[in-house]
Formats: sequence, C-alpha cells, structure tokens
Amino acid sequence: MGNYVRFLLPIYAVIKRDLIKLTRQKGRLLSAIIRPLIWLLVIGSGFNAMIDREDENYFDFIVPGVVGMSILFGALLGSLSMVYEKETGVMRMILVSPLTHKRIIFAKMCAASLSAVVQVFMLLVVLFTFGFVDFSIDFSILFVGIVILAIACSALGMLVASFSETLDNFAAIMNFVIFPVFFLSGSLYPIQSLPPLLRNIAEVNPYTYGVDILKHAILVPNGMAADFPLLNSVGFLLIFTVIAFFISSWRFSQEKVSANWFPRKRRK
Amino acid sequence: MQKNNRAIVVGDVKKSFGKLVALNSLSFDVNYGDFFGLLGPNGAGKTTMVNMMATITKPSAGKINILGLNTETDSLAIRRKIGLVFQDSALDRQLTVEENLLFAGALHGLNSNFLKTKINEILKLFELNDRKKDVVGTLSGGQRRAIDIARGLIHEPEILFLDEPTIGLDVLTRMNIWRFIHKLQKSRGITVVLTTHYLEEAESCDNVCFIDKGELILNGKPERLINQFNVEILEIESLEIEDIYPDIMAIFGQGKLDYKTAYFKVEKDTKNLINEDLAIIKDRFGGKLKRISIRPVNLNDVFIWVTT
Repeated sequence: MGNYVRFLLPIYAVIKRDLIKLTRQKGRLLSAIIRPLIWLLVIGSGFNAMIDREDENYFDFIVPGVVGMSILFGALLGSLSMVYEKETGVMRMILVSPLTHKRIIFAKMCAASLSAVVQVFMLLVVLFTFGFVDFSIDFSILFVGIVILAIACSALGMLVASFSETLDNFAAIMNFVIFPVFFLSGSLYPIQSLPPLLRNIAEVNPYTYGVDILKHAILVPNGMAADFPLLNSVGFLLIFTVIAFFISSWRFSQEKVSANWFPRKRRK
Repeated sequence: MQKNNRAIVVGDVKKSFGKLVALNSLSFDVNYGDFFGLLGPNGAGKTTMVNMMATITKPSAGKINILGLNTETDSLAIRRKIGLVFQDSALDRQLTVEENLLFAGALHGLNSNFLKTKINEILKLFELNDRKKDVVGTLSGGQRRAIDIARGLIHEPEILFLDEPTIGLDVLTRMNIWRFIHKLQKSRGITVVLTTHYLEEAESCDNVCFIDKGELILNGKPERLINQFNVEILEIESLEIEDIYPDIMAIFGQGKLDYKTAYFKVEKDTKNLINEDLAIIKDRFGGKLKRISIRPVNLNDVFIWVTT
C-alpha cells in the first residue's frame, strides 16, 4: 500500500498542480470554448453556404472536428507547459525528485490529457445547450474517443516539448505542428476528398484517427460516414501514443539535453 | 549506517563537456553532520560537482558515493535522501508558497497531512508563516530564496546541497539566510554542502575544499588553512595605487592588487620593522595614501594567494 501511494502521489501532484494553474488561467479556459465555436460558426456557415445539397448539413459534419480541435489544443498546450517549466527552472524541482524520466513524462501526459478532457467537456455543454449535438450520439464511443484522443494529443505535445527548449519557437510549433495536424485530419472535410498526396499525409496523421473515432460517435449514429473502421482508428492512436511516449522519455533522459536546464557558469 | 562517518565520498572524479574538462581528478570526503564548503571562483566547476553529487549528471570518470550509495546506479534512492537548492529559484511563481511546498513534498511521495505540518514548521523557522498563502511571484528575492531552501528541506533530507544560496542578494538578506541555515543545521544536524565564491561565508564551515579550473587546490578546516599561512596582511589603500605599487612592492615583495588596494603578506609580530618601512612609504607618497592597516589572514587571502 505504501509503495502504491508513493508511486501515485507524485503523478497526482503533477496533475493537481497543472489543473490548479489551468483554473487560474481564465483566458485559456475561455478560448477552449470560444476557439472551436468560432470555427463551428464562421467556417461552418461559410462552407455550409457553398454546399448545394439539401440532404447534407456542414454544421453536422464539422462538429467532431471542433470537438477534436478542443482536445488537440487543450492537450498540446498542456504538454507544452513543460517547455515553460524548462525555461523558468521549475522542471529542475521535478528532476531532483525520486522520479524516473518515464514517470515524469507519464505524469505530465496524464495532466495534459485531463486538462484537455476538462476543456472538451466544457465545450460539449455549450454544444448541447445550443443544439449542435443531441442525445442521438453514441456516448460510450464519444467518451472513449475523447479519452484516447486526449492521451494521443498529449503524447504528441510531449514529443514536441521534449525537442523544444524555449517557447520562443511557439509560432513555429503552431505553424508546423498544430495547424498541419488539424487541417490534414478530416476535421473540415472527408479525407477521401483530398488530393492523393495530402490524403497520404492525412492517413499517417494520428489526429485523423482521433477525429475519426469522434465521427463514429457523433456522425455515424445520424447516418453519416466515418473514414476508417473504429478499431483501426483506436489501434492506430494507441500505437502512436506508445511510440511517442517512449521517444519523449528517451529524449528527456538524455544528459546532454537535461543538463541545459541546470545552467553552469563557463570558465573564461 | 554511518560507516566510516563519511556521508559523501568523491573519488578521482572527472567531468568533460566535449573537449572542455570541467573537473579533473577531484577527490574529497564530507563527514556526517558537517557543514562543508566547496569553494572557488565562477567557472571553477562547483555547480558541475554539485550536479553530479545530486545525480543530475554522471561523472565522465571516477566514483561518487552519497550515504553509501553510488550516484550512477542508485540515483533515485539518493534523491530521496538529499535536498538541492539551486543558484536561482526553481519555484513556480504562479503558485502560492504553500502550493509550491506541497508540490515539492508530494513529488517525494509525502501525503498532504504530513506536509502541512512540515510546511508550518519550516516556514516558522524561516519566519515566513504569514506568507504561506501568497503567490511566490509577490515575494522579495530574499523571501523566495528562503522558500527555495524550505523546498529543499520539505522531505527531511539527510544532506542538503546549497549551490550559491546567497548569490545576487543584498547584505542584510544574505545575513538572514545564513542565520536560517545555521539555525537549521544546529537544530537538525543534517549534512550541508555549500558552494559559494563569497569566501567569508564559508569561514564557519567545518571543512572546505578549494577548487579552481576544475582542479582541487586545497582542502581542510578553515582555521587550519588560515593558520598555515602564519602571516598577517598589510593593506594599503590609495586612489593611485597602480602608480605607487611598484615602489611599495620593492619594499614588501610581490603582493596582490585590486582597483584601489594593495595587499602584502607580512611576518607576524614584526610591527616595529614594518613601521619603519611604512614610514618610508608615508614619506614618499603621504598625500596619495588613504589607508594603511594590518589585519589577520582570512579565507579570501588563502584562496587568492594559493590560486594566483
């Protein structure tokens, strides 16, 4: 029992700390709702006006995409807090504790995932309230999809964070990671309609499979199609998560990387 | 448990970063309950040595034993038993003092009930109980430093590493921090390893070790190192010291110079002889001299004369 508690307490501490900080960042919480709603209303209205078919409503199609977006941003920003911790020196407090590098990455992934789940549930309340989703959806698949996608996105964020030493390149992370991952995922259009090269890229994008699970939960019960069989999407995401976790842990444990977080004065 | 009475054994340790040899064949021991000073100028390798003792980095060669455990194979077990306070704050400025300390303690697997009692106890020691609920970002530099030290102590370590704990602090704050550290060491009897380049802070250490350019220069008890010198220091202060230094050097021998003071080693109990020499100097440079004094040797002198 003692060892069990000693194993779980540090992970709980990392999660609790990140959630305390999330609740104090009102702007972050607000944008977790506003950002997807802007996409839903602005992009949704624009594309809906261009589709000239009475049997299809683009608003319905884009809902899994904006739910996924909330998870993607929530988990990635949660994971990228690790870069802030490296920059401010807080990471040293974690590194001198008796935790292995794998446990630190695991704890940070749990924290980022949970923070994304909190944010997406806030968005879902709004989506239900305004009728963008209704009770015809498959709640069990939705719940599993949200959890798996949150974990996969936090693993992706951890991969980025373990290779980033400063938040100065946050713009680069947005442009070269977050936007491509979102746009090439089937969030805004079925990936079958993409040109072959982009479709191939979308097919190796793990986020595509997360959005696909959400399509199984939200679109399929309403007679619309998903892109891949459900189990394929779940399997792909889980494999990606495990690989990303091990690469991040390996990178994080490299002395030449972590030594930079403990500045030493150079001799003249 | 306390085999050989040695809490830390550093044996022939070398550390290289690429082509740069940061530490070369360094060996020293620290006894249980000692207040040990690892001293040297900036860039001497003090932080590199502390990082290796704290299992953050590994030696390129040699061995380090902490409380009988090997830093390379038992790093997690060692981290449970040591506390490390860095040169600059590792606290989260967005969290309160209590939240930071709870977090640091929980990382060591300690439950919040135990930690809350511990936090009250430590903050009382540091006279900061009334700042418990304040966000760290609102504390002064000295208060943050004290909380950083409290963070390093929250899990009751057997060894506390203090890496330049007073760097960048004003004199009064430094005095307070030292008051806390001594109070702490007295009340708990833990082993404290201090690195600093403010050598006057190390005079109360049980043992010190001087390093420079990664090499061991001297080690031993401060009073023994000081007594070994068996001289006194003549200080001559002048705003034109560089101009008159060669003439004074001709009388007192090679000395050390800073921007307005020259320091010379003079034999003990030779005041009459010195006074005759000083009379010659006063005669020649009277108007240019600001102050002349003879004082006992301190650790700064030992270090300056040994390393340069």
